[in-house]
Amino acid sequence: MGLKKLIKTATFYEIIQGMSVTGGYFLKDKVTVEYPKEKIAPHPRFRGMHALITDPETGRLNCCACRLCETICPPQCITIESSEGPNNEKSIDVFDIDLARCIFCGFCEEICPCAAIVMTTVYELATYDKNDFFLDKEKLVANQVNARKELNRR
Amino acid sequence: MSGAPTNGHAHGAEEVHRPTLEELKERKLYTRQRVHEGQETITVSMGPQHPSMHGVYQAVVDLDGEIIVRTRPGIGNLHRGVEKLAEQMTYHQFIPVTDRLDYVASFAMNHGYCEAVEKLMGVEVPRRARYIRTIAHELTRLANHILWLGVHIMDFGAQTFFLICFRDREYILDLFEMVCGARLTHSYARIGGVSKDLPEGWVGRCRSVVDFLPKRFDEYERLITSNRIFNKRARNIGIFTSEDCNAWRITGPTLRSTGVARDLRKDEPYAAYDEVDFEVAVEYNSDVYDRFLVRMKEMRESCKIIRQCLDNLPDGPYLADDAAHVLPLKKNVLRDSAAMIQDFMHVIHGPHVPKGEVYRAIEVPKGEMGVYIVSDGGPKPQRLRLSTPSFYHGQAVPAMFEGEMLSDSVGIFGSIDVVLGDCDR
Repeated sequence: MGLKKLIKTATFYEIIQGMSVTGGYFLKDKVTVEYPKEKIAPHPRFRGMHALITDPETGRLNCCACRLCETICPPQCITIESSEGPNNEKSIDVFDIDLARCIFCGFCEEICPCAAIVMTTVYELATYDKNDFFLDKEKLVANQVNARKELNRR
Repeated sequence: MSGAPTNGHAHGAEEVHRPTLEELKERKLYTRQRVHEGQETITVSMGPQHPSMHGVYQAVVDLDGEIIVRTRPGIGNLHRGVEKLAEQMTYHQFIPVTDRLDYVASFAMNHGYCEAVEKLMGVEVPRRARYIRTIAHELTRLANHILWLGVHIMDFGAQTFFLICFRDREYILDLFEMVCGARLTHSYARIGGVSKDLPEGWVGRCRSVVDFLPKRFDEYERLITSNRIFNKRARNIGIFTSEDCNAWRITGPTLRSTGVARDLRKDEPYAAYDEVDFEVAVEYNSDVYDRFLVRMKEMRESCKIIRQCLDNLPDGPYLADDAAHVLPLKKNVLRDSAAMIQDFMHVIHGPHVPKGEVYRAIEVPKGEMGVYIVSDGGPKPQRLRLSTPSFYHGQAVPAMFEGEMLSDSVGIFGSIDVVLGDCDR
């Protein structure tokens, strides 16, 4: 054991060195955010709660009931039922997403050929009632105010 | 200290002594306590709910006093049947499931799976996509090692350091959120490239993070490297020589801490690793302290790799133009009918896959992750086998624990970096 190391051991050099790092944080700004009072805005690509987009002119859903999202969804959390109107128009009767099953992989948004289903930056999904995880068509359409439309173009 | 094998760790400017395998074996024999045959033992179950255990790993240990005589590992508490799930999903659909293997380093898992599928299908990945993958993989490695470091030091009793590490990991998770929309389960890699291009301003932000993190690593080193408590506790425990590592199929930083420069990024380059300049982090003493040093070196090397990739980031497509195997670009789907047909074909029928078997291994943060796929020509794999590092590391735990003190056991277990999602699959 060298003399230098002996002195370092005797004077608790490395403890003081470490404590200087920890003590330095007394003087620095906080990096934490007090969550319920202030929130960090998610980035635009954030994959949160889904939304269904309607055409602003006609008010109809963009969705053409092709069921691609239902097919590709890995946990199979999407249920779609559709019917055909008199003028061969498809109308969506049921569009349900079970958020309790959803893994937020973003495949539904990625493969949708009509840019109808998107994922929004809504992330506060914790709830006391399991029924709140069940999103029907009305809830999904209502959530489109949170959607960033330019994102559909990747 | 007479009769004790010399401690090979370097002190300051002293020359590094590289112990030979024989010396290490001798040191291992010396540091492990001798177990007396026929002694009465107490059986203690550590985990799956033990607060100091990592994840849901169960270790039922037989104790002679404080010395561990035998360990019976119990795994499978997080078993989800991922390999069976793969047989019911198309090759595209399985990508989000690979996130859930090693949830600390999920991009690495995406990447390994996609590399294997690309090898099976013969898809050539564009140069930009390979660079983006390299960057994302190294960011994952940083996030994984920083988290590991915090938890590992907490095993030895330092609480504050855990929070310091979590703060720095946040910068990396933020970058991931910006690029792919998720903080932990990225699902970013796709067959033939990545799912989204880098957003505006990402490159500058990433560069500032990798310039800034090495300063944090200096801070870590000032706190930990020469700290006497950590030194006393981590040195010369859990010695596992290169011979043992080969016998138990241990890879990654644990193997590199025994002086074996085995790194698939160098040995069998994938993505853009053959175009960047980096060193393989190697240490020689094979104990818990050296595994810490290897990971510290690796983090600095990762920053170096990312910086080089950002400097040389080429322009071009981020997804291969291959209608038979790759999902189309969303912007083409909305405008072009051929791309829309491609979209429908991929979702309903799945990609076009040749018959055959393929094995591809890559270096994920914890070690070597191999994917073995048997294809019968259908859109779903006939059999998919994942050989992930944590499983092999977890099974070596009885051999590592034998003769060690119970109080060191959690530190040793932490040093090999086992994530149970990766282990149980």
